[in-house]
Amino acid sequence: MTDATQQGPGRDAGAGVLPDGTAIEAADIAASPPQRALVLHRQLDKVWRDLPGWRGFFTSVNHGTIGLRFMATSFVFFAIGGVLAMMIRAQLATRDGAFLDVELYNQIFTMHGSIMMFLFAIPLLEGLALWLLPKILGARDMAFPRLSALGYFCYLFGGTVIVLSLLFGVAPDGGWFMYTPLTSRTYSPGINADIWLLGVTFVEISAMAAAVEITVTILRCRAAHMPLTKMPLMAWYLLGTSVMMLLGFPPLILGSILLEVERAFGWPFFDVARGGSPLLWQHLFWLFGHPEVYIIFLPAAGALSTIIPILSRTTILGYGAIVAAVIGLVFLSFGLWVHHMFTVGIPHMALAFFSAASALVAVPTAIQIFAWIGTMYEGRVTLRLPMLYVMGFFATFVMGGLTGVMLAMVPFNWQAHDTHFVVAHLHYVLVGGFVFPMLAAVSYWMPLISGRWRVAGLGEAAFWLILIGFHGTFFLMHLTGLLGMPRRVATYPGDPEWEWLNLISSIFGMVQAAGFALFAFDIVMQWLFGRRSWRNPWKAPTLDWAMPLPAPSYNFASLPGPRQPDADAILPLARGEGLLPGAPRGWRETLVVEPGSGRPQHVMVLATNTALPVATSAAIGSFFAMMLAGLYWLAPLGILATLIMAWRWGEIMGTTTDHPPAEVAPGLSLPLHWQVRNTLAHTGAVALLVADATLYASLLFGVGFLTVVAPGWPAPETGFGPWMLPLALAALAAMAVSTVIAHLAEARRDSAALRVWTLAGLGAAGLGLALLAPLALGLDDPTRHARDALRGAVVGFAVAHGVIAVMLALRAHVDAVRGRIGGDRRGALPVWQLFQKFWLATSIVSVALICAQEVLA
Amino acid sequence: MIWMARVLAGPVLWAVLFSAVYALHGAGCHLGWSDRPLGFTDLHHAAMWTVWIGGLLLHAGLVVWMPAGQGRARWIIVAGTWIGLVSSAFTLFPVIVTSTCF
Ligand SMILES: [Cu+2]
Repeated sequence: MTDATQQGPGRDAGAGVLPDGTAIEAADIAASPPQRALVLHRQLDKVWRDLPGWRGFFTSVNHGTIGLRFMATSFVFFAIGGVLAMMIRAQLATRDGAFLDVELYNQIFTMHGSIMMFLFAIPLLEGLALWLLPKILGARDMAFPRLSALGYFCYLFGGTVIVLSLLFGVAPDGGWFMYTPLTSRTYSPGINADIWLLGVTFVEISAMAAAVEITVTILRCRAAHMPLTKMPLMAWYLLGTSVMMLLGFPPLILGSILLEVERAFGWPFFDVARGGSPLLWQHLFWLFGHPEVYIIFLPAAGALSTIIPILSRTTILGYGAIVAAVIGLVFLSFGLWVHHMFTVGIPHMALAFFSAASALVAVPTAIQIFAWIGTMYEGRVTLRLPMLYVMGFFATFVMGGLTGVMLAMVPFNWQAHDTHFVVAHLHYVLVGGFVFPMLAAVSYWMPLISGRWRVAGLGEAAFWLILIGFHGTFFLMHLTGLLGMPRRVATYPGDPEWEWLNLISSIFGMVQAAGFALFAFDIVMQWLFGRRSWRNPWKAPTLDWAMPLPAPSYNFASLPGPRQPDADAILPLARGEGLLPGAPRGWRETLVVEPGSGRPQHVMVLATNTALPVATSAAIGSFFAMMLAGLYWLAPLGILATLIMAWRWGEIMGTTTDHPPAEVAPGLSLPLHWQVRNTLAHTGAVALLVADATLYASLLFGVGFLTVVAPGWPAPETGFGPWMLPLALAALAAMAVSTVIAHLAEARRDSAALRVWTLAGLGAAGLGLALLAPLALGLDDPTRHARDALRGAVVGFAVAHGVIAVMLALRAHVDAVRGRIGGDRRGALPVWQLFQKFWLATSIVSVALICAQEVLA
Repeated sequence: MIWMARVLAGPVLWAVLFSAVYALHGAGCHLGWSDRPLGFTDLHHAAMWTVWIGGLLLHAGLVVWMPAGQGRARWIIVAGTWIGLVSSAFTLFPVIVTSTCF
């Protein structure tokens, strides 16, 4: 093949190499002999299916099950958020609405925003990604099935706590952005704010799990010889989304931790009287909050880029331009968070940087919209149900964009600031840019989920109710906003001229709610009474339709290779003519490829049904529950339980013998993942550390920011005494020694001395951690001043990572003792090395930072 | 992954440059650099101009020397280098047109 696109990506040495040292080319992969499809199905189903009944609920780790569960749960929360929205509309329908008191009203609009954002939008896109990705990429499952399940249970438990708080009247009431000082102890003495901080952080664990998982799956679990430059656009969009989640959520998680520490233990990060600043919260929140808009928009845009060409019977226009636009969006959206803070008193030049970035980000969005319009113009659009929702997207999103331009004009912004005009704009953008495309996606993929075709007419009726109801509700809010009605007021007795607009708006709100209810009814009817769908009902070329309907637990009886790149391969794949046919070893196996070119590298054996994820999320949840209950002295037990669970995750991985390579195709055998170094776990650890490094960078940003905005910090009382520098250097030395030993252990993994090395590494890492303790105790009281609080946070970061490094060292030692290291098997050594290096590097920066503060003070 | 690194080089350089200039802006205001004359301007402006123009030169280098491969693979790399250059030029041009610390 002289295909030019294959030459760019993937020249990594040693990637995808045959035993004789030559690279595996597409031509090397022969077709497997055809088998009886039914026999293959039975064999695979036995290995891949969930346990029956309620045990299946707690033990399933299959991406199909977990993805659907995520989506179904997110729609339940959407319904709850919708009911809250109806309560808001009922309250505002008359000028002195007596339906809710002000306190409850504050809780309800805060919860509406928080639920829609954290319990509906993000989980829905996670669920869609989990369910869809292996199908469009040609894999059997996501990279880390147990992590999917862990993410689901953290989401379910955290979301349930947040919603229950409403029933007990202690729901968060400070607005979904939780600005300090409104949410600090002084002004929010109850547990309302803690519910938000702890609950959302608990739910964010699932976002981080999904982000790591999606990134690794897209980079390494694709069909053989599917280069990055040829993968479906949806995968590019989801890669962009997951990378943004890795970089966007850590600032929010850090902010939540700092605010909760301030509330629980009085460390003053945001308290002006003690050197903190509420603006630090705003910076950390919007560092997440603006990228979040695109985290939500990108998967929706991916669905549009998938559905539009198929329902226009053509191919997408400008694949390369769209990829470039996604990359541009991912980066630029991190350079404009300050546009949410234009009115807080930031110097002109800084404002100008962020306005320019805000203007520039419109370019990649426009490129995509032109690509979609051009695609529809080139093709022949068929107005089937998903396409109706696409039209709804255009009608709504474009108007949201126009009001966005209006709001970007500073004089207009000052007029419309904090009025219902902004509420209308926000809903046009979010519903237009996320809900309509997602409804298109659900109705598009529904036949693959249910195996059935929908009942005619219902879906269309739901669409028109939603569209008319939505525009009727929110178009009028532009007008009430222009008439001056502020956001977040419960009554407006002095302004009768707003009343009739609000009343009509509320009536249309009910119409919209009826539309969503009808949509849900349509889905249920399709599931129960739809007739069986025929294969590939949309005549789509993508791999997700190269499987039976409904999609089986293992997706493909044999995995697509260079001969089976599209949906036409459905029969050959079902007969086992692709790669890795069946489950001859009785394991859940999928193919791992080189990230750029897609050359096959090794075979990954995935985890099977286990209750470990639900137990682990319960352990994590126990920590959050004790924090919430104010039982701070018991909370370490929750951490201990979590660590014990984390230990058990490693326990059921690894192997004590070298397995023979697995035959992937005739004449092509690849090693199993235990015997290679560059495993999925390794890539996943790198992705996790990228997020971790972002968290650390946000902490450094906090130090820099408070230093700059709060000048004249007092000199430290005891500060960083002369005895502390040698102690810190000794701690760093111990970390450095354990890092070196981690590498030596891998180099000597076949020798009898291996256990001595891992034990020495464990000792050195433990010594490093132990030396951090007196360092932490020697610092000034962290409740004294923001500087001391930040130092405490920096040292706390080092201690937390020390605990992880010691655990991984212990894991490596136990692996060595039990014979899981040796021959080609490396056990936990590579991941231990990564964490050691990260611990050492961040600790060096932290010590240098604290020393620099001393010198400059 | 070398391909991916080439694609991302331009945008990453923008992110580094944007952070550096923004940090320099905050630090300069804190340290009072805008009150220290330097030639026809002040120390604060001069420092930010130097970093910005140096960054733009690096970007130009990426545009000229980075592209590799053929077809779509090359096209996306070229697009990546231009995204970086245009972003750095456009989002940071305020360093030449506005005052610094108020
Ligand atoms: Cu924004």
